[in-house]
Amino acid sequence: MTEVLLRVENLHVSVGDTPIIQGISLEMNRGEIHAIMGRNGAGKSTLANVIMGHPAYQITSGTIHYKGKNIEDMEVFERARAGMFLSFQYPAAIPGVQVGTFLRKSVASVRGEAPSPRAFRQELNEAMKQLDMDKSFLSRYVNDGFSGGEKKRLEILQMLLLQPHLALLDETDSGLDIDALRIVAEGINAVAENTGCLIITHYQRLLDLVKPDVVHVLIDGKIIESGGPELALKLEKEGYDWVDALA
Amino acid sequence: MTSYLDANVPSRSEHLWRYTPWSRVHPGAVDTVPQVDAASIKTEDFELGTSAVKPLPTSDIARIFLNEVLQETTTIDCDDKYGHIHIHAGGHAVATHLHFTCNTASNIVIHLHGEPDWFGLALTGDINANAQLSLGVINELSTDSVMVRVDDWSLHRDARFELATLSMGGHRNKSDIRSTLKGSNSSLKQFIAVHGHGTRHDDHHIEIHHQQPHTNSHLLLNAACDDRSHSIGTGALTIDDVAQHTDAGQIFRNLLLSPSSRAEAIPELEVLANEVAAAHGAASAPINKEQLHYLMSRGLSKEEATSMIVEGFLVDSFTGLDSEHVREAMQTRLTVHLECQLIG
Repeated sequence: MTEVLLRVENLHVSVGDTPIIQGISLEMNRGEIHAIMGRNGAGKSTLANVIMGHPAYQITSGTIHYKGKNIEDMEVFERARAGMFLSFQYPAAIPGVQVGTFLRKSVASVRGEAPSPRAFRQELNEAMKQLDMDKSFLSRYVNDGFSGGEKKRLEILQMLLLQPHLALLDETDSGLDIDALRIVAEGINAVAENTGCLIITHYQRLLDLVKPDVVHVLIDGKIIESGGPELALKLEKEGYDWVDALA
Repeated sequence: MTSYLDANVPSRSEHLWRYTPWSRVHPGAVDTVPQVDAASIKTEDFELGTSAVKPLPTSDIARIFLNEVLQETTTIDCDDKYGHIHIHAGGHAVATHLHFTCNTASNIVIHLHGEPDWFGLALTGDINANAQLSLGVINELSTDSVMVRVDDWSLHRDARFELATLSMGGHRNKSDIRSTLKGSNSSLKQFIAVHGHGTRHDDHHIEIHHQQPHTNSHLLLNAACDDRSHSIGTGALTIDDVAQHTDAGQIFRNLLLSPSSRAEAIPELEVLANEVAAAHGAASAPINKEQLHYLMSRGLSKEEATSMIVEGFLVDSFTGLDSEHVREAMQTRLTVHLECQLIG
Protein backbone atom coordinates (compact mmCIF):
# COMPACT_ATOMS: atom_id res chain seq x y z
CA MET A 1 0.00 0.00 0.00
CA THR A 2 1.38 3.42 -0.91
CA GLU A 3 2.05 5.78 1.95
CA VAL A 4 1.97 9.51 1.26
CA LEU A 5 5.15 10.72 2.89
CA LEU A 6 5.18 14.37 1.91
CA ARG A 7 2.33 16.58 0.78
CA VAL A 8 3.00 20.21 -0.07
CA GLU A 9 -0.12 22.25 -0.84
CA ASN A 10 -0.16 25.67 -2.47
CA LEU A 11 2.98 26.69 -0.59
CA HIS A 12 4.06 30.34 -0.57
CA VAL A 13 7.35 31.26 1.10
CA SER A 14 9.13 34.56 1.62
CA VAL A 15 12.46 35.74 2.96
CA GLY A 16 11.75 39.07 4.58
CA ASP A 17 9.47 40.86 2.13
CA THR A 18 10.70 38.94 -0.89
CA PRO A 19 8.46 36.11 -2.11
CA ILE A 20 10.52 33.12 -3.26
CA ILE A 21 8.06 30.25 -3.59
CA GLN A 22 4.73 31.19 -5.10
CA GLY A 23 2.30 28.31 -4.93
CA ILE A 24 3.99 24.92 -5.04
CA SER A 25 2.05 21.69 -4.62
CA LEU A 26 3.52 18.22 -4.76
CA GLU A 27 2.97 14.80 -3.27
CA MET A 28 5.53 12.11 -2.68
CA ASN A 29 5.06 8.49 -1.60
CA ARG A 30 7.49 6.36 0.36
CA GLY A 31 9.97 4.73 -2.00
CA GLU A 32 9.62 7.39 -4.67
CA ILE A 33 12.40 9.56 -6.04
CA HIS A 34 11.45 13.05 -7.19
CA ALA A 35 13.90 15.35 -8.93
CA ILE A 36 13.55 19.11 -8.96
CA MET A 37 15.33 21.01 -11.70
CA GLY A 38 15.42 24.66 -12.56
CA ARG A 39 17.61 27.64 -13.15
CA ASN A 40 19.64 29.29 -10.39
CA GLY A 41 17.38 31.34 -8.14
CA ALA A 42 14.22 29.45 -9.09
CA GLY A 43 13.54 28.52 -5.43
CA LYS A 44 14.79 24.91 -5.39
CA SER A 45 17.01 25.23 -2.30
CA THR A 46 14.37 27.37 -0.60
CA LEU A 47 11.87 24.54 -1.00
CA ALA A 48 14.27 22.04 0.60
CA ASN A 49 15.15 24.42 3.41
CA VAL A 50 11.58 25.34 4.22
CA ILE A 51 10.53 21.69 4.32
CA MET A 52 13.36 21.13 6.81
CA GLY A 53 12.28 24.17 8.85
CA HIS A 54 15.01 26.75 8.30
CA PRO A 55 14.01 29.75 10.47
CA ALA A 56 15.06 32.31 7.83
CA TYR A 57 12.10 31.34 5.61
CA GLN A 58 8.51 32.29 6.39
CA ILE A 59 5.57 30.29 5.11
CA THR A 60 3.06 32.97 4.12
CA SER A 61 0.37 30.50 3.01
CA GLY A 62 -0.07 26.84 2.20
CA THR A 63 0.87 23.75 4.17
CA ILE A 64 3.48 21.00 4.42
CA HIS A 65 2.33 17.64 5.70
CA TYR A 66 4.82 14.89 6.56
CA LYS A 67 3.34 11.45 7.25
CA GLY A 68 -0.07 13.10 7.40
CA LYS A 69 0.93 15.71 10.00
CA ASN A 70 1.19 19.45 9.45
CA ILE A 71 4.79 20.19 10.41
CA GLU A 72 4.74 23.99 10.34
CA ASP A 73 5.11 24.24 14.12
CA MET A 74 7.77 21.55 14.44
CA GLU A 75 11.29 22.63 15.36
CA VAL A 76 14.12 21.62 13.05
CA PHE A 77 15.42 18.99 15.45
CA GLU A 78 11.94 17.53 15.86
CA ARG A 79 11.69 17.11 12.10
CA ALA A 80 15.08 15.35 12.10
CA ARG A 81 13.97 13.04 14.89
CA ALA A 82 10.79 12.32 12.94
CA GLY A 83 12.92 10.98 10.07
CA MET A 84 13.52 14.02 7.85
CA PHE A 85 16.98 14.69 6.50
CA LEU A 86 18.48 17.49 4.44
CA SER A 87 21.77 17.05 2.64
CA PHE A 88 22.96 20.65 2.53
CA GLN A 89 24.27 22.36 -0.57
CA TYR A 90 26.74 24.24 1.63
CA PRO A 91 27.11 22.33 4.91
CA ALA A 92 28.32 24.47 7.82
CA ALA A 93 31.79 23.89 9.26
CA ILE A 94 31.93 23.29 13.02
CA PRO A 95 35.56 23.82 14.08
CA GLY A 96 36.65 21.88 17.15
CA VAL A 97 33.94 19.21 16.80
CA GLN A 98 35.27 15.90 15.55
CA VAL A 99 33.27 14.07 12.89
CA GLY A 100 33.16 10.88 14.98
CA THR A 101 31.76 12.68 18.02
CA PHE A 102 29.25 14.57 15.91
CA LEU A 103 28.00 11.41 14.18
CA ARG A 104 27.62 9.51 17.44
CA LYS A 105 25.60 12.31 19.06
CA SER A 106 23.52 12.86 15.97
CA VAL A 107 22.64 9.18 15.64
CA ALA A 108 21.77 9.01 19.35
CA SER A 109 19.52 12.07 19.04
CA VAL A 110 17.64 10.88 15.98
CA ARG A 111 17.22 7.29 17.19
CA GLY A 112 16.29 8.35 20.72
CA GLU A 113 19.00 6.22 22.30
CA ALA A 114 22.74 5.89 21.94
CA PRO A 115 23.81 2.77 20.04
CA SER A 116 26.37 0.59 21.80
CA PRO A 117 29.91 1.71 20.95
CA ARG A 118 30.67 -1.61 19.29
CA ALA A 119 27.52 -1.68 17.17
CA PHE A 120 28.00 1.95 16.16
CA ARG A 121 31.63 1.38 15.21
CA GLN A 122 30.65 -1.55 13.02
CA GLU A 123 27.83 0.40 11.39
CA LEU A 124 30.11 3.37 10.83
CA ASN A 125 32.86 1.23 9.33
CA GLU A 126 30.44 -0.34 6.86
CA ALA A 127 28.99 2.99 5.78
CA MET A 128 32.42 4.56 5.37
CA LYS A 129 33.60 1.59 3.38
CA GLN A 130 30.57 1.91 1.13
CA LEU A 131 31.47 5.55 0.48
CA ASP A 132 35.19 4.82 0.14
CA MET A 133 36.00 7.13 3.06
CA ASP A 134 39.18 6.91 5.09
CA LYS A 135 38.90 6.48 8.87
CA SER A 136 41.02 9.57 9.38
CA PHE A 137 37.85 11.51 8.51
CA LEU A 138 36.49 10.74 11.95
CA SER A 139 39.12 12.74 13.82
CA ARG A 140 38.80 15.79 11.57
CA TYR A 141 36.59 18.70 12.52
CA VAL A 142 33.15 18.74 10.89
CA ASN A 143 33.46 20.20 7.37
CA ASP A 144 36.41 22.32 8.53
CA GLY A 145 38.86 22.56 5.64
CA PHE A 146 36.96 19.91 3.68
CA SER A 147 36.96 19.97 -0.11
CA GLY A 148 33.56 20.22 -1.82
CA GLY A 149 33.58 16.50 -2.53
CA GLU A 150 34.48 15.60 1.06
CA LYS A 151 31.60 17.68 2.36
CA LYS A 152 29.15 15.89 0.08
CA ARG A 153 30.44 12.49 1.11
CA LEU A 154 30.01 13.40 4.76
CA GLU A 155 26.43 14.44 4.06
CA ILE A 156 25.71 11.07 2.45
CA LEU A 157 27.48 9.25 5.28
CA GLN A 158 25.12 10.97 7.70
CA MET A 159 22.16 9.95 5.57
CA LEU A 160 23.26 6.32 5.61
CA LEU A 161 23.62 6.37 9.40
CA LEU A 162 20.47 8.32 10.19
CA GLN A 163 18.33 6.19 7.87
CA PRO A 164 15.75 8.91 7.18
CA HIS A 165 12.25 8.35 5.88
CA LEU A 166 12.41 11.53 3.82
CA ALA A 167 15.71 12.68 2.29
CA LEU A 168 16.06 16.12 0.74
CA LEU A 169 19.25 16.25 -1.32
CA ASP A 170 20.23 19.78 -2.29
CA GLU A 171 22.73 19.68 -5.16
CA THR A 172 24.50 16.74 -3.60
CA ASP A 173 26.17 16.09 -6.96
CA SER A 174 27.88 19.47 -7.22
CA GLY A 175 31.62 19.43 -6.69
CA LEU A 176 31.93 15.68 -7.24
CA ASP A 177 34.21 14.05 -9.76
CA ILE A 178 32.92 11.10 -11.80
CA ASP A 179 34.08 8.41 -9.36
CA ALA A 180 32.80 10.30 -6.32
CA LEU A 181 29.47 10.86 -8.06
CA ARG A 182 29.09 7.13 -8.66
CA ILE A 183 29.89 6.35 -5.03
CA VAL A 184 27.49 8.99 -3.72
CA ALA A 185 24.77 7.77 -6.11
CA GLU A 186 25.21 4.23 -4.77
CA GLY A 187 24.76 5.66 -1.29
CA ILE A 188 21.53 7.37 -2.31
CA ASN A 189 20.23 4.23 -3.99
CA ALA A 190 21.02 2.25 -0.86
CA VAL A 191 18.53 4.26 1.19
CA ALA A 192 16.05 5.14 -1.56
CA GLU A 193 14.12 1.89 -1.45
CA ASN A 194 12.40 2.70 1.83
CA THR A 195 12.79 6.45 1.70
CA GLY A 196 11.21 9.30 -0.16
CA CYS A 197 13.97 11.21 -1.93
CA LEU A 198 13.64 14.76 -3.21
CA ILE A 199 16.72 15.44 -5.31
CA ILE A 200 17.60 18.97 -6.34
CA THR A 201 20.02 18.98 -9.22
CA HIS A 202 21.12 20.88 -12.28
CA TYR A 203 22.48 17.87 -14.11
CA GLN A 204 21.27 14.74 -15.81
CA ARG A 205 24.48 12.92 -14.82
CA LEU A 206 23.16 12.21 -11.29
CA LEU A 207 19.80 11.11 -12.68
CA ASP A 208 21.59 8.61 -14.91
CA LEU A 209 22.68 6.87 -11.73
CA VAL A 210 19.69 7.55 -9.47
CA LYS A 211 16.51 7.00 -11.48
CA PRO A 212 13.76 9.47 -10.63
CA ASP A 213 10.10 8.52 -10.70
CA VAL A 214 9.01 12.11 -11.19
CA VAL A 215 10.83 15.19 -12.47
CA HIS A 216 9.55 18.70 -11.65
CA VAL A 217 10.65 21.89 -13.35
CA LEU A 218 10.67 24.94 -11.10
CA ILE A 219 10.55 28.42 -12.61
CA ASP A 220 10.22 31.58 -10.51
CA GLY A 221 8.98 29.72 -7.44
CA LYS A 222 6.37 27.62 -9.27
CA ILE A 223 6.34 24.09 -10.63
CA ILE A 224 5.69 24.65 -14.31
CA GLU A 225 5.97 21.11 -15.57
CA SER A 226 6.13 17.63 -14.07
CA GLY A 227 6.80 14.38 -15.85
CA GLY A 228 8.85 11.23 -15.97
CA PRO A 229 12.64 10.82 -16.40
CA GLU A 230 12.32 11.87 -20.03
CA LEU A 231 11.65 15.43 -18.84
CA ALA A 232 15.18 15.67 -17.40
CA LEU A 233 16.61 14.41 -20.67
CA LYS A 234 14.66 17.03 -22.59
CA LEU A 235 15.97 19.79 -20.27
CA GLU A 236 19.51 18.52 -20.71
CA LYS A 237 19.09 18.67 -24.47
CA GLU A 238 17.00 21.79 -24.96
CA GLY A 239 17.55 23.93 -21.84
CA TYR A 240 14.82 25.92 -20.08
CA ASP A 241 13.67 28.29 -22.80
CA TRP A 242 10.79 26.06 -23.88
CA VAL A 243 9.57 25.88 -20.26
CA ASP A 244 9.45 29.66 -20.07
CA ALA A 245 6.72 29.58 -22.68
CA LEU A 246 4.61 27.44 -20.32
CA ALA A 247 5.09 29.77 -17.34
CA MET B 1 63.86 45.90 45.88
CA THR B 2 60.74 48.06 45.73
CA SER B 3 58.52 47.66 48.78
CA TYR B 4 54.84 47.11 48.11
CA LEU B 5 53.72 49.72 50.60
CA ASP B 6 56.02 52.29 48.95
CA ALA B 7 54.72 51.53 45.49
CA ASN B 8 51.96 53.55 43.90
CA VAL B 9 48.65 51.83 43.40
CA PRO B 10 48.07 52.06 39.64
CA SER B 11 45.11 54.03 38.40
CA ARG B 12 42.65 52.75 35.82
CA SER B 13 44.22 55.01 33.24
CA GLU B 14 47.06 52.49 33.03
CA HIS B 15 46.40 50.07 30.18
CA LEU B 16 47.23 47.03 32.30
CA TRP B 17 44.69 47.87 35.02
CA ARG B 18 41.99 49.50 32.97
CA TYR B 19 39.44 46.69 33.06
CA THR B 20 40.40 45.04 36.34
CA PRO B 21 41.72 47.53 38.90
CA TRP B 22 44.34 46.25 41.30
CA SER B 23 42.02 47.01 44.22
CA ARG B 24 39.57 44.39 42.91
CA VAL B 25 42.11 41.59 42.84
CA HIS B 26 44.15 42.43 45.95
CA PRO B 27 43.40 39.95 48.79
CA GLY B 28 42.33 42.71 51.18
CA ALA B 29 42.66 46.48 51.50
CA VAL B 30 45.17 47.74 48.94
CA ASP B 31 47.30 49.49 51.56
CA THR B 32 47.94 46.25 53.45
CA VAL B 33 50.07 43.15 53.01
CA PRO B 34 47.98 40.36 54.54
CA GLN B 35 49.21 36.94 55.63
CA VAL B 36 49.55 34.73 52.58
CA ASP B 37 50.14 30.99 52.91
CA ALA B 38 51.96 28.64 50.58
CA ALA B 39 49.98 26.33 48.30
CA SER B 40 50.39 22.56 48.25
CA ILE B 41 52.24 21.39 45.14
CA LYS B 42 52.31 17.72 44.15
CA THR B 43 53.35 15.58 41.28
CA GLU B 44 53.82 11.87 40.88
CA ASP B 45 55.68 12.20 37.64
CA PHE B 46 59.01 13.84 38.54
CA GLU B 47 61.04 15.54 41.27
CA LEU B 48 60.37 19.12 42.33
CA GLY B 49 62.98 21.36 43.95
CA THR B 50 62.67 24.37 46.20
CA SER B 51 64.76 27.46 46.63
CA ALA B 52 64.59 30.86 48.25
CA VAL B 53 62.21 33.13 46.41
CA LYS B 54 63.52 34.05 42.99
CA PRO B 55 62.48 37.69 42.72
CA LEU B 56 59.98 38.61 40.06
CA PRO B 57 60.61 41.70 37.94
CA THR B 58 59.33 44.79 39.74
CA SER B 59 57.63 46.16 36.67
CA ASP B 60 54.12 46.32 38.11
CA ILE B 61 52.17 46.25 41.33
CA ALA B 62 51.12 42.57 41.17
CA ARG B 63 54.70 41.35 40.87
CA ILE B 64 55.88 43.70 43.63
CA PHE B 65 53.12 42.39 45.88
CA LEU B 66 53.92 38.75 45.14
CA ASN B 67 57.61 39.37 45.85
CA GLU B 68 56.62 40.27 49.40
CA VAL B 69 54.20 37.45 50.11
CA LEU B 70 55.86 34.49 48.39
CA GLN B 71 57.67 32.19 50.80
CA GLU B 72 59.72 30.10 48.39
CA THR B 73 60.11 29.16 44.76
CA THR B 74 59.43 25.67 43.48
CA THR B 75 61.95 24.80 40.81
CA ILE B 76 61.44 22.38 37.95
CA ASP B 77 64.36 21.26 35.82
CA CYS B 78 62.65 20.41 32.58
CA ASP B 79 64.89 17.71 31.25
CA ASP B 80 62.59 15.28 29.49
CA LYS B 81 59.81 15.81 32.02
CA TYR B 82 56.41 14.48 31.09
CA GLY B 83 53.41 14.67 33.38
CA HIS B 84 51.18 16.75 35.62
CA ILE B 85 51.65 19.14 38.54
CA HIS B 86 48.73 19.66 40.92
CA ILE B 87 48.58 22.87 42.92
CA HIS B 88 46.00 22.83 45.67
CA ALA B 89 45.07 26.07 47.36
CA GLY B 90 42.76 26.64 50.33
CA GLY B 91 42.09 29.17 53.07
CA HIS B 92 42.04 32.94 52.81
CA ALA B 93 45.07 33.80 50.74
CA VAL B 94 47.56 31.48 49.07
CA ALA B 95 50.42 32.08 46.67
CA THR B 96 52.98 30.02 44.85
CA HIS B 97 55.84 30.52 42.44
CA LEU B 98 57.04 27.90 39.96
CA HIS B 99 60.25 28.42 38.04
CA PHE B 100 61.09 26.23 35.05
CA THR B 101 64.53 25.73 33.61
CA CYS B 102 64.31 23.92 30.33
CA ASN B 103 67.36 22.47 28.59
CA THR B 104 65.87 19.63 26.56
CA ALA B 105 62.20 18.85 25.90
CA SER B 106 59.31 18.61 28.33
CA ASN B 107 55.52 18.37 28.30
CA ILE B 108 53.81 19.40 31.54
CA VAL B 109 50.26 20.27 32.60
CA ILE B 110 49.59 22.33 35.75
CA HIS B 111 46.21 21.91 37.44
CA LEU B 112 45.00 24.61 39.85
CA HIS B 113 42.49 23.27 42.39
CA GLY B 114 40.91 24.38 45.62
CA GLU B 115 38.72 27.01 47.21
CA PRO B 116 40.97 29.86 48.32
CA ASP B 117 39.53 33.34 48.68
CA TRP B 118 42.61 34.60 46.87
CA PHE B 119 45.29 32.83 44.90
CA GLY B 120 48.50 34.37 43.61
CA LEU B 121 50.36 32.40 40.96
CA ALA B 122 53.73 33.27 39.50
CA LEU B 123 55.15 31.21 36.64
CA THR B 124 58.59 31.99 35.34
CA GLY B 125 61.08 30.18 33.23
CA ASP B 126 64.02 30.03 30.92
CA ILE B 127 63.64 27.96 27.80
CA ASN B 128 67.29 27.66 26.96
CA ALA B 129 69.03 27.25 23.62
CA ASN B 130 67.47 24.57 21.45
CA ALA B 131 65.12 23.46 24.26
CA GLN B 132 61.40 22.82 23.94
CA LEU B 133 58.70 23.24 26.57
CA SER B 134 54.99 22.59 26.16
CA LEU B 135 53.12 23.77 29.22
CA GLY B 136 49.41 23.70 29.97
CA VAL B 137 47.73 25.57 32.81
CA ILE B 138 44.21 24.54 33.81
CA ASN B 139 42.39 26.84 36.20
CA GLU B 140 39.82 24.75 38.04
CA LEU B 141 39.58 26.93 41.14
CA SER B 142 36.31 27.33 43.03
CA THR B 143 33.77 29.73 41.58
CA ASP B 144 34.32 32.02 44.62
CA SER B 145 38.07 32.47 44.18
CA VAL B 146 39.98 35.51 43.01
CA MET B 147 43.22 34.82 41.16
CA VAL B 148 46.18 36.95 40.16
CA ARG B 149 48.61 35.28 37.79
CA VAL B 150 51.87 36.71 36.51
CA ASP B 151 54.15 34.96 34.02
CA ASP B 152 57.64 35.89 32.88
CA TRP B 153 59.24 33.67 30.25
CA SER B 154 62.54 34.00 28.46
CA LEU B 155 63.13 32.19 25.19
CA HIS B 156 66.71 31.77 24.08
CA ARG B 157 68.23 30.85 20.73
CA ASP B 158 66.27 28.17 18.81
CA ALA B 159 63.96 27.61 21.81
CA ARG B 160 60.41 26.39 21.27
CA PHE B 161 57.72 27.24 23.80
CA GLU B 162 54.04 26.33 23.76
CA LEU B 163 51.90 27.80 26.53
CA ALA B 164 48.25 26.80 26.79
CA THR B 165 45.77 28.13 29.33
CA LEU B 166 42.31 26.80 30.06
CA SER B 167 40.52 29.33 32.22
CA MET B 168 37.20 28.17 33.59
CA GLY B 169 37.53 28.45 37.39
CA GLY B 170 37.54 31.36 39.79
CA HIS B 171 35.20 34.30 40.10
CA ARG B 172 37.62 37.07 39.15
CA ASN B 173 40.91 36.47 37.38
CA LYS B 174 43.67 38.78 36.31
CA SER B 175 46.48 37.22 34.29
CA ASP B 176 49.49 39.12 33.06
CA ILE B 177 51.54 36.81 30.85
CA ARG B 178 54.80 38.12 29.44
CA SER B 179 57.24 36.40 27.14
CA THR B 180 60.49 37.71 25.75
CA LEU B 181 62.08 36.16 22.70
CA LYS B 182 65.71 36.84 23.52
CA GLY B 183 67.38 34.46 21.10
CA SER B 184 67.22 34.32 17.34
CA ASN B 185 65.02 31.67 15.76
CA SER B 186 63.05 31.21 18.99
CA SER B 187 59.35 30.45 18.70
CA LEU B 188 56.36 31.01 20.96
CA LYS B 189 52.86 29.62 20.53
CA GLN B 190 50.29 30.71 23.07
CA PHE B 191 46.73 29.39 23.28
CA ILE B 192 44.06 30.55 25.71
CA ALA B 193 40.51 29.27 26.12
CA VAL B 194 38.18 31.13 28.45
CA HIS B 195 34.78 29.91 29.52
CA GLY B 196 32.74 32.69 31.10
CA HIS B 197 29.69 31.70 33.13
CA GLY B 198 27.71 33.27 35.96
CA THR B 199 29.30 36.61 36.81
CA ARG B 200 32.82 35.40 36.08
CA HIS B 201 35.32 38.13 35.20
CA ASP B 202 38.44 37.02 33.33
CA ASP B 203 41.12 39.44 32.23
CA HIS B 204 44.12 38.26 30.22
CA HIS B 205 46.90 40.65 29.36
CA ILE B 206 49.54 39.15 27.09
CA GLU B 207 52.82 40.83 26.31
CA ILE B 208 55.16 39.36 23.73
CA HIS B 209 58.47 41.04 23.06
CA HIS B 210 60.61 40.11 20.07
CA GLN B 211 64.18 41.18 20.72
CA GLN B 212 66.03 39.17 18.09
CA PRO B 213 65.68 38.47 14.37
CA HIS B 214 63.98 35.40 12.89
CA THR B 215 61.66 34.94 15.86
CA ASN B 216 58.04 33.78 15.67
CA SER B 217 55.04 34.19 17.92
CA HIS B 218 51.44 33.16 17.58
CA LEU B 219 48.68 34.00 20.05
CA LEU B 220 45.10 32.74 19.95
CA LEU B 221 42.56 33.60 22.62
CA ASN B 222 39.06 32.14 22.34
CA ALA B 223 36.53 33.27 24.94
CA ALA B 224 32.98 31.95 25.20
CA CYS B 225 30.94 34.19 27.48
CA ASP B 226 27.59 33.17 28.91
CA ASP B 227 25.24 34.64 31.52
CA ARG B 228 26.68 37.92 32.85
CA SER B 229 30.32 37.02 32.43
CA HIS B 230 32.96 39.38 31.16
CA SER B 231 36.13 38.48 29.28
CA ILE B 232 38.97 40.85 28.50
CA GLY B 233 41.90 40.12 26.25
CA THR B 234 44.57 42.72 25.76
CA GLY B 235 47.70 42.09 23.79
CA ALA B 236 50.90 44.06 23.60
CA LEU B 237 53.19 42.86 20.84
CA THR B 238 56.54 44.60 20.52
CA ILE B 239 59.03 43.95 17.75
CA ASP B 240 62.37 45.67 18.31
CA ASP B 241 64.20 47.37 15.45
CA VAL B 242 66.83 44.60 15.37
CA ALA B 243 64.20 41.83 15.27
CA GLN B 244 64.04 41.67 11.48
CA HIS B 245 62.26 38.77 9.77
CA THR B 246 59.97 38.30 12.74
CA ASP B 247 56.64 36.63 12.11
CA ALA B 248 54.00 37.45 14.73
CA GLY B 249 50.25 37.18 14.95
CA GLN B 250 47.58 37.75 17.57
CA ILE B 251 43.96 36.66 17.25
CA PHE B 252 41.23 37.31 19.82
CA ARG B 253 37.83 35.70 19.25
CA ASN B 254 34.81 36.08 21.50
CA LEU B 255 31.62 34.08 21.38
CA LEU B 256 28.80 35.92 23.15
CA LEU B 257 26.17 33.49 24.39
CA SER B 258 23.81 35.82 26.24
CA PRO B 259 22.69 39.44 25.90
CA SER B 260 24.28 40.29 29.26
CA SER B 261 27.70 38.81 28.54
CA ARG B 262 30.52 41.15 27.55
CA ALA B 263 33.90 40.79 25.92
CA GLU B 264 36.73 43.14 25.12
CA ALA B 265 39.52 42.24 22.72
CA ILE B 266 42.29 44.75 22.25
CA PRO B 267 45.41 43.64 20.42
CA GLU B 268 48.14 46.29 20.21
CA LEU B 269 51.28 46.22 18.09
CA GLU B 270 54.47 48.22 18.31
CA VAL B 271 56.63 47.32 15.33
CA LEU B 272 60.02 48.99 15.06
CA ALA B 273 61.57 46.66 12.47
CA ASN B 274 60.71 47.01 8.80
CA GLU B 275 61.05 43.48 7.42
CA VAL B 276 58.51 41.64 9.50
CA ALA B 277 55.10 40.03 9.23
CA ALA B 278 52.84 41.19 12.05
CA ALA B 279 49.10 40.64 12.09
CA HIS B 280 46.34 41.00 14.59
CA GLY B 281 42.63 40.42 14.59
CA ALA B 282 39.71 40.57 16.96
CA ALA B 283 36.11 39.44 16.54
CA SER B 284 33.09 39.16 18.80
CA ALA B 285 29.89 37.49 17.67
CA PRO B 286 26.95 35.45 18.88
CA ILE B 287 26.44 31.81 17.93
CA ASN B 288 26.50 31.33 14.17
CA LYS B 289 22.91 30.62 13.10
CA GLU B 290 23.92 28.39 10.19
CA GLN B 291 26.01 26.20 12.49
CA LEU B 292 23.08 26.00 14.90
CA HIS B 293 20.64 25.09 12.12
CA TYR B 294 22.99 22.47 10.73
CA LEU B 295 23.36 20.68 14.06
CA MET B 296 19.65 20.94 14.84
CA SER B 297 18.90 19.41 11.44
CA ARG B 298 20.82 16.39 12.72
CA GLY B 299 18.49 15.93 15.67
CA LEU B 300 20.25 17.99 18.34
CA SER B 301 18.07 20.30 20.42
CA LYS B 302 18.96 23.99 20.49
CA GLU B 303 20.68 23.56 23.87
CA GLU B 304 22.64 20.51 22.70
CA ALA B 305 23.64 22.21 19.46
CA THR B 306 24.73 25.37 21.28
CA SER B 307 26.76 23.33 23.73
CA MET B 308 28.46 21.47 20.88
CA ILE B 309 29.36 24.71 19.10
CA VAL B 310 30.76 26.24 22.30
CA GLU B 311 32.75 23.12 23.04
CA GLY B 312 34.14 23.10 19.52
CA PHE B 313 35.00 26.77 19.68
CA LEU B 314 36.98 26.29 22.89
CA VAL B 315 38.49 22.94 21.92
CA ASP B 316 39.70 24.54 18.72
CA SER B 317 41.80 26.94 20.82
CA PHE B 318 44.21 24.07 21.43
CA THR B 319 44.22 22.49 17.97
CA GLY B 320 47.53 24.16 17.13
CA LEU B 321 49.37 22.61 20.08
CA ASP B 322 52.11 20.28 18.89
CA SER B 323 52.26 18.46 22.22
CA GLU B 324 49.70 15.69 22.15
CA HIS B 325 50.07 15.24 25.92
CA VAL B 326 49.16 18.85 26.68
CA ARG B 327 46.51 19.10 23.95
CA GLU B 328 44.65 15.99 25.11
CA ALA B 329 44.78 17.05 28.75
CA MET B 330 43.37 20.49 27.97
CA GLN B 331 40.67 19.25 25.61
CA THR B 332 39.60 16.39 27.86
CA ARG B 333 39.30 18.60 30.93
CA LEU B 334 37.39 21.19 28.95
CA THR B 335 34.93 18.61 27.64
CA VAL B 336 34.28 17.27 31.14
CA HIS B 337 33.75 20.80 32.46
CA LEU B 338 31.25 21.67 29.73
CA GLU B 339 29.34 18.42 30.12
CA CYS B 340 29.04 19.12 33.85
CA GLN B 341 27.78 22.61 33.04
CA LEU B 342 25.20 21.22 30.62
CA ILE B 343 23.94 18.72 33.19
CA GLY B 344 23.88 21.55 35.74
